[in-house]
Amino acid sequence: MSQTLIEAITSFNKEGALSTTDELLNANVKPEEILDHGRTAMKIIGDKFECGEYFLPELIISGDILSSIAERLKPFLTGDGTKEKLGVVVFGTVSGDIHDIAKDIVISMLDVNGFVVVDLGVDVSAQRFVEAAQEHQADMVGLSGFLTLAIDPMRETIAAFKAAGLNDVKIMIGGGPINELVCEDIGADAWGANAIEAVAISKGWVGEKA
Amino acid sequence: MTGKDNPQPNKNQLEYQAREKRVWDAVRLQKPDRVPIVCYDEYFSLKLGGVTPADAYYDIERAAAAFVENVTKFNWDMISLFGNLPGEVGETIGLTSNKWAGCHLPANQEFQFVEKEYMLADEYDQFLKDPSDFVIRKMWPRMATGLGPFGEFPSFLMLSHAYTPIYELAMLAGQPNVREMLEKLIAMGEQMNRYTAGLDQAVSALAEKGYPVFIEVPAHAPFDWISDYFRGIKGTMMDMFYQPDKLKAAIDLITPQMIDYTIQTAKEMELSTVSIPLHRGADPFMSNDQYAEFYWPSLKELLLSLIEADLTPMPYWEGSYSNRLPFLAELPPGKIWGHFEVIDLHKAKEMIGDVMVFWGNVPSQTLISGTPEQTRDSVRELIDIFGDNGGLIIDGSVGIPKEAKLENVIAMTEAVFDYGVY
Repeated sequence: MSQTLIEAITSFNKEGALSTTDELLNANVKPEEILDHGRTAMKIIGDKFECGEYFLPELIISGDILSSIAERLKPFLTGDGTKEKLGVVVFGTVSGDIHDIAKDIVISMLDVNGFVVVDLGVDVSAQRFVEAAQEHQADMVGLSGFLTLAIDPMRETIAAFKAAGLNDVKIMIGGGPINELVCEDIGADAWGANAIEAVAISKGWVGEKA
Repeated sequence: MTGKDNPQPNKNQLEYQAREKRVWDAVRLQKPDRVPIVCYDEYFSLKLGGVTPADAYYDIERAAAAFVENVTKFNWDMISLFGNLPGEVGETIGLTSNKWAGCHLPANQEFQFVEKEYMLADEYDQFLKDPSDFVIRKMWPRMATGLGPFGEFPSFLMLSHAYTPIYELAMLAGQPNVREMLEKLIAMGEQMNRYTAGLDQAVSALAEKGYPVFIEVPAHAPFDWISDYFRGIKGTMMDMFYQPDKLKAAIDLITPQMIDYTIQTAKEMELSTVSIPLHRGADPFMSNDQYAEFYWPSLKELLLSLIEADLTPMPYWEGSYSNRLPFLAELPPGKIWGHFEVIDLHKAKEMIGDVMVFWGNVPSQTLISGTPEQTRDSVRELIDIFGDNGGLIIDGSVGIPKEAKLENVIAMTEAVFDYGVY
């Protein structure tokens, strides 16, 4: 039945995925295990995105199905799951930028890949990023931005981390206006063009630490 | 303005004509005397004059003066006019579908659209049954608090009886909340008149100095119209999977109306160019199969209909478009004035070099974070690749961002004069 769930998600059958989730729950399968199957499906879709077979619609649809499954499982989940998390990422769209779609996709991919993600939302000030990183003892921070207007706020946020002495917190940036030149110019540790690259960067960083 | 009525045009008028000819030669894929420079400049020249986006939204006279003074320092061949939603208008009507500097955003930020589902997934049938009624009575109240009373109006079809408009409208106009809305609409109109008068002044001042401004009728890809304004990106992409027929029916409904409206407006305003900012058709947003199924047919129909009406579409291919080149290659040669942001340059030359002028694409990243030398290299590369048939116009990849370094913008301009003389 777990294979049926994975197949329902990878064929974008939301109704099928939710009814299989119910059947698995009725068969006393642990909700954590059901979520793991969902993550397996997301990885399959992520791989197809990476090789150019799938695009944004498939990421959005599968993300929506997975959150609906998670919502259904919520009453049955105990604690925050048994699996060990890879690391803590504080994530948000920078000050003055209110775009959230790319941010939400990256967060959902980081989550299914085993990271704890603290979502600060959009139009997040530099100070708020710093405070959240301190509060949650973040390993890394993700700054999202859609237009060129995001570059100066990203620069200011990175400067705020340096000013606060948080030099161990890695900072990645992403979004339409970003490339290597901008990354170097504003002093970020890495940049990514999409959600899959954000996952690879984050995994690389926790690997470095281990 | 162009000196047509003056038997002896002055120097500025001659320059105006030369600039205009240079640009249109390139658009028609005929070699001009030099590669033209045509820049989208919303806030860069304003910033040089110490004017923030917030100032521009609220003080049109100051912004217009600063823009004219600074944009003419660059010797560009044609320029876009800055200008967006006047802040006063947005505040008067309680606009919630946009956020802008001076109201919700920091003074130095550009306005942004608040993306959400203004039409819900289960409302397609209502929209398809009577789109104008749906827009006025359902969507407007969701986009602006001041338009809320429209939600209380009866169906507009029901106002078509010989007597009902008089009785119903009089009854409605007597309601305090409707009266308040009407007063806001009048105030909004006065604010908009002041704003457009400021813009008109800037156009005249630029023409006097010898600089043509490109003023276009706006149009949209029908898919974008639904995705940007009705369903949001998430909503539309869900619709592609869960209710594709309804999405297509909405696009089919909009397309002929968009075409008629655009052609009619262009004729009324005596304009020959149509700006089409494109959003959801870029490479990452969908596969080529999805593009062929959902996006391209209605956009192609729009483009071909505009061309047939002797208008020049100016599609702004925002984002990456390398995957879509086979579609673009279907268009007739020398009729489209397309702006490119991110694209495989050599592939573009090969596939559409004889189809449409290449307008762009000195990377915004280079203008913002690079050096003058890197900027010059980028211009030289564009001229080397696209210059041979004259089908090239230089601009930044997203126009000239306000974050660009002045020395890089100067380098971009100078490089065209150094390498771009045919």
